[in-house]
Amino acid sequence: MNGDPTSGIPAGGILSNFAEAILANDDSLAQSRSAVVAALGEAAMIDAAAVVAGFNGITRIADATGIPLEPAKAEETESWRATLGIDAFIDLKS
Amino acid sequence: MTTRPELLAAQATAWAWLGRPGVWWTGEERVAIVAKTRHAATCALCRARKQAAIPAAVLGTHDTISTLPAPAIEAIHRIRTDSGRLGETWYRRLIGPDLTEGHYVELVAIVAITVAIDSFREGIGLAALDLPLPMPGLPTRTPPPGTKPGLAWMPVLFPQDWAPPTPDLYRTLPGPPERGRGHIHHALSLGPEAMIAWWDMFEPMYLRSAEMRDFTREFRAISHAQIEMLAARTAALNQCIY
Repeated sequence: MNGDPTSGIPAGGILSNFAEAILANDDSLAQSRSAVVAALGEAAMIDAAAVVAGFNGITRIADATGIPLEPAKAEETESWRATLGIDAFIDLKS
Repeated sequence: MTTRPELLAAQATAWAWLGRPGVWWTGEERVAIVAKTRHAATCALCRARKQAAIPAAVLGTHDTISTLPAPAIEAIHRIRTDSGRLGETWYRRLIGPDLTEGHYVELVAIVAITVAIDSFREGIGLAALDLPLPMPGLPTRTPPPGTKPGLAWMPVLFPQDWAPPTPDLYRTLPGPPERGRGHIHHALSLGPEAMIAWWDMFEPMYLRSAEMRDFTREFRAISHAQIEMLAARTAALNQCIY
């Protein structure tokens, strides 16, 4: 992965930009949406938006309930969570 | 634009559920939570706290015209605008007579459903839905028996402790259980109805458990790899460690 979670994923960069635009809900959204449609088609754009929107909700459930990662999953993902800096988020909680 | 009928139907069901009386909130209060969730996105205090190294160090009051109790207002705003930095200390300060753990869990589900449906519609270029219609009736105020502390900030109902007449939140019947493998499935279990409402809406947006692990075929117009990349990217943007 070389630290880039989109590497090796077809249209990964375009989809990643779409996710960022949905969460920001700014002027870039229409352009990002069009880019996904052009690359993968309308059905893919809709399914991509559904995943992003669903995870925009479920991350709130996880963070607002303090639910911990399963021990096996935590062990499996230890190295790449450190590489991506995800563990640093723990220090920001208050 | 052609959207999967299952996707729209699940969201319509969840949206209607928001307007119904719940276990802890009335229909009117639940619609007020939906409205506050939308309003929080433009709250000046939330913007200032989001920029601060320590959110609690920024004093002030949330922009609000709501009659919901103050701890509920604080919960809605922080969950909507800065969920990645929520901690157990913050949670313990909120919980009390004006916002019980049952109220809180139901509120979390309402905020999450609102965020998910609004984000989806914004994402594909559709206008936001009108607020759900509040339905009359009183909350039942009946927590499920068998909950246990220890896994999350609040007690949870583990699959092995579930029994009728508590709603079948893990889809245990007729078997095998369809939910309950991951900790995230337990997160809303103090409110079984809320948990069912969330997962019934979420799975058509993402994948069902069995579909997640079935790599012999694709279930969406994007691949498993593309789905998981989008999920991970969204979690990282929200500073979620789960």
